[in-house]
Amino acid sequence: MRPGPIALVLAGATALEFFFGGSKFRGAWPVDWLLVGTAIVARWGGFGRAVLTGAAAGFLEDALTENLLGLNAFAKAAIGYLLAFVSVRVIFGGALAVGGVIALCSLANDAIVAVLRYLLLDSPIVIGTPYALWRAVATGTTAGALEAAWSFPWREWRERRRLRRLR
Amino acid sequence: MRPAGVRAEITSRPRRGGALLASVLVLCVLALSAQAPARGHRGSVLQSWILTAAAPAVRAVAGISRAVSGTSSSVAETWTARSENVRLRHELEKREEELFRLRAEVQQFRGERSLRAAAPFLPTVVGSAPVLLLERRAGLQSALIGIGSAAGVGGGAPLAVPQGLVGRVVIAGRTLSRAQLLLDASAAAGARIARTGEVGIVRGDGRGALRLNHIPTTSRVQQGDLVESAGIDGIYPRGIPIGRVASISRGGNLFLDIRVVPTAPFSRLTDVLVLAPFPAREPAEGTSALR
Repeated sequence: MRPGPIALVLAGATALEFFFGGSKFRGAWPVDWLLVGTAIVARWGGFGRAVLTGAAAGFLEDALTENLLGLNAFAKAAIGYLLAFVSVRVIFGGALAVGGVIALCSLANDAIVAVLRYLLLDSPIVIGTPYALWRAVATGTTAGALEAAWSFPWREWRERRRLRRLR
Repeated sequence: MRPAGVRAEITSRPRRGGALLASVLVLCVLALSAQAPARGHRGSVLQSWILTAAAPAVRAVAGISRAVSGTSSSVAETWTARSENVRLRHELEKREEELFRLRAEVQQFRGERSLRAAAPFLPTVVGSAPVLLLERRAGLQSALIGIGSAAGVGGGAPLAVPQGLVGRVVIAGRTLSRAQLLLDASAAAGARIARTGEVGIVRGDGRGALRLNHIPTTSRVQQGDLVESAGIDGIYPRGIPIGRVASISRGGNLFLDIRVVPTAPFSRLTDVLVLAPFPAREPAEGTSALR
């Protein structure tokens, strides 16, 4: 994946984050769009770009919501590398597998940030809250749906539909 | 699914990727270490600059989001109107579009008006601000609000809604500020049980509820009692509702462990009132009001 599309993915993820984050229905389907963006780049962009995209996405998140710059950057850079590794070394596919991995990554992101906050800010470790679990489900399901939409044979489907109409 | 050429290229470069990961992680740790000693202060100048720079884009996207939210609330009414008559529907199409937009705007204004109507009951309201983003991660509960130093808002300004206290501004950019919600695992405020007058400290648990500490076991506190700000922390003014007592159990060291459910609707926050900073004394150093 080239830098242009990566920047586009990041910008889109940020826009979606604010679009849904500013709505009063934000809690209904709380997708971590920046994690989804990192996963997209990791799926197609290789190790280096996945790490840098994760770091950039996390840094952006830190700048807007965290007390310290670097907490989410650290977590998302590590997750970007892990996802690129999984994408290359482990043979898996399908929406369910992708969704499951991303949901686990969402929980891992929370855990890494919680540990860093505990070490640096002396905050209590809060993980596995219902909201965090719901966000993992939402993020995993969304990523799975994107994977399904990407790998669906749209051209054949359209062709079959056209032929059916002609009959 | 991945092209064979790209796959081969990617597979040949995990070592380089590993080195890059290590450098990025080291950079993150350095950045974190550089900031850690300053955690007692209200954020860094860099964060304030970033908030100011990000403001126009954030406000634009959030504006669209709020418009969509407002519009969605009037969808049901619009569908009822549409079912009246097919012929009339075509004739009135343009007018309905106008009506659709106006309804969304009216709903938005109604919300703001009800918020402002509560202003006389709260101490010195600086203004109202839209909530642009709410983040809940690993105990952190923060919000981005669309008001900043240009409107006279500075760090430490308390935030409230008619139902109760919400939190305080931590970093103020020019037109955008970051706020720590009362539910944050590091947040705390001086609190008073309105019925008995006993004073304690209310802390966020990072999971959506509050804990009231330092209330002795001899207290006559009951389930459902109103807990309000005590005005002893130098940040939050006195008398603003915080929550209601949900459960009481015996904690350690002669104190009760009291769970408080906040009165402010944190999950559905759309606008908040910014109050003038409480002038009693300078806020204590730390990440929270009392720490």
